[in-house]
Amino acid sequence: MGEKIFRIVSGLIALIVVLVVAFPFVVMLSISLQSRAELFSTSASLIPEKWMFSNYVEAFKSANWGRYFLNSFVITAVVTVVSLVINSMAGYVFARIRFRFSKVLFLVILAGMMIPPQVTMIPVFSMLRGFPLVNGNDILGNGGSGLINTYAGMILPFIAGSFGVFLCRQYYVGFPRELDDAATVDGCGRVRAFFRIYLPLSKPVLASLGVLKFTGTWNEYTWPLIMARSDSMKTVQVALTLFRNESEIRWNLMMAATIMISLAVYIVFGCAQKHFVNGILAGSIKG
Amino acid sequence: MAAKKTKIKNRDNLAAYLMLSPFLLFFALFVLYPLIKNFYYSFTNYNLGNKTDWAGLKNYKELFTDHWFLEAMKNTAVYAVFSVIFLTVLGLFISVLLNSRSKLVKVARTAMIIPYATSMVAVSMIWLYLLDPTTGYINKLLVELGVSNPPNWLGELDLALPSLIFINVWKNLGYCMIIYLAGLQNIPPELYEAATVDGAGFLQKHLKITLPQIAPVTFFVFVNNCIEAFKTFEQVQIMTQGGPVTATTTVVHQIYLRAFNDFRMGYAAAMSVVLFLVIFAVTLLNFRAFKSSADGDDA
Repeated sequence: MGEKIFRIVSGLIALIVVLVVAFPFVVMLSISLQSRAELFSTSASLIPEKWMFSNYVEAFKSANWGRYFLNSFVITAVVTVVSLVINSMAGYVFARIRFRFSKVLFLVILAGMMIPPQVTMIPVFSMLRGFPLVNGNDILGNGGSGLINTYAGMILPFIAGSFGVFLCRQYYVGFPRELDDAATVDGCGRVRAFFRIYLPLSKPVLASLGVLKFTGTWNEYTWPLIMARSDSMKTVQVALTLFRNESEIRWNLMMAATIMISLAVYIVFGCAQKHFVNGILAGSIKG
Repeated sequence: MAAKKTKIKNRDNLAAYLMLSPFLLFFALFVLYPLIKNFYYSFTNYNLGNKTDWAGLKNYKELFTDHWFLEAMKNTAVYAVFSVIFLTVLGLFISVLLNSRSKLVKVARTAMIIPYATSMVAVSMIWLYLLDPTTGYINKLLVELGVSNPPNWLGELDLALPSLIFINVWKNLGYCMIIYLAGLQNIPPELYEAATVDGAGFLQKHLKITLPQIAPVTFFVFVNNCIEAFKTFEQVQIMTQGGPVTATTTVVHQIYLRAFNDFRMGYAAAMSVVLFLVIFAVTLLNFRAFKSSADGDDA
């Protein structure tokens, strides 16, 4: 009796929750297909009178969107690939090789997870600005703009993530020790053992970490906002806010652009939902 | 034999440092060094210029008289408290109800994660439209329902911050659910079976079994949402710019404005130190609670 009521109630609540969560997305999709006239009418109908697919083209052409997408793709791809390589190597070392200070070092790196990037953004900004010998800087890093307004400036601060090292270490710790013995017998050094044996077996953990890194970097707003000084260096997230600054906001174009910049994340999410969830869960057991 | 072992040991050490060095380089340059440098800046009048003078505690003293910063602290605290309460309690409540294997429930779970995967910029744009006073969808609906004077959600002093809190809860509920549901799956089903045999009802089972069993997970969700709330910036910068007046400005928003609008880097660094200390304290609380819950298990 209690169980049956529970089932009905939970089904109902599930339905309501889905509706509340989905509602804004439905509105977004509907508005992105409405004409200007319909948008400013009083009608609250969600079915567009005329389906304006041209809004998407118009939104894309409203600014330098090809360039913004290119910027976001380059930054996200480099951050994801490079940090996967660097994090998995470090994770392997902490999982398998005992060396002087390895424990202390690992604790320091774990503690690094506690340091929010908002706390370090001022020194990182001034360090990148003072990078010697680029963009008008002299050898002491004075005079020019350094790595401000460059890809490097938007990529470098996101390479070091303690979380990835932790995730990979946890994964490699679970590998059987015999793997190492077999590698030693075959005369493989540690480095070769990692690339020949461990890395090919790392797909699940790299997929989880990769999906999280991809979505995190693609969705990042604050740092590109600080770094991009010219229009041509804006990422899609920074560029989207351009719509907000118009005197009469073209909501339909804004919603179309919002959908377009979110598609990359939704595609990755759709293909790798399981890995996305696994990554979040792996992060939650860290305490 | 011993010689061979040392040789392998040395080779291992070399390999270890070789494979660690890229990560350590980035970690030292972009995490450790900036953290220390930020402490240093907070005692100076650094303003991106060539000359930086020692300012002692001047920046910190100014914080206590800075109306904007004090308002930001208050707003951030209110934002954190309400976000955390709703996310922790509502998240658990919904997760318990959705902890079954039916199809509808699976769809619900997937739907819940989508706002979490969407960028805060995109979410801000969606809600900026929904909450727009004239063309926004919510007010259009309200007018259709006969409300003659629907509110200007983000433009009114007492509604702006609650609106931002609501959006935050809407965005992150799915994240809490993923973690709660994993925790609920880890509770041994025997506990519930035994309780059923003893004649416990639905409510009793959840009060006596679910709540204590899920406590460590609840605490994690609590702490994590707390930390995230203290870092709030993007939605403020995009949707309200801290307004109306000071109603929605947050600590990170103040850091951003002082550092990158006014170039008062030293002063903003002092704000960053305060933020760091708050987050550090919350995290330590997390570790301590985990330690004591682990000790409790041993006993």
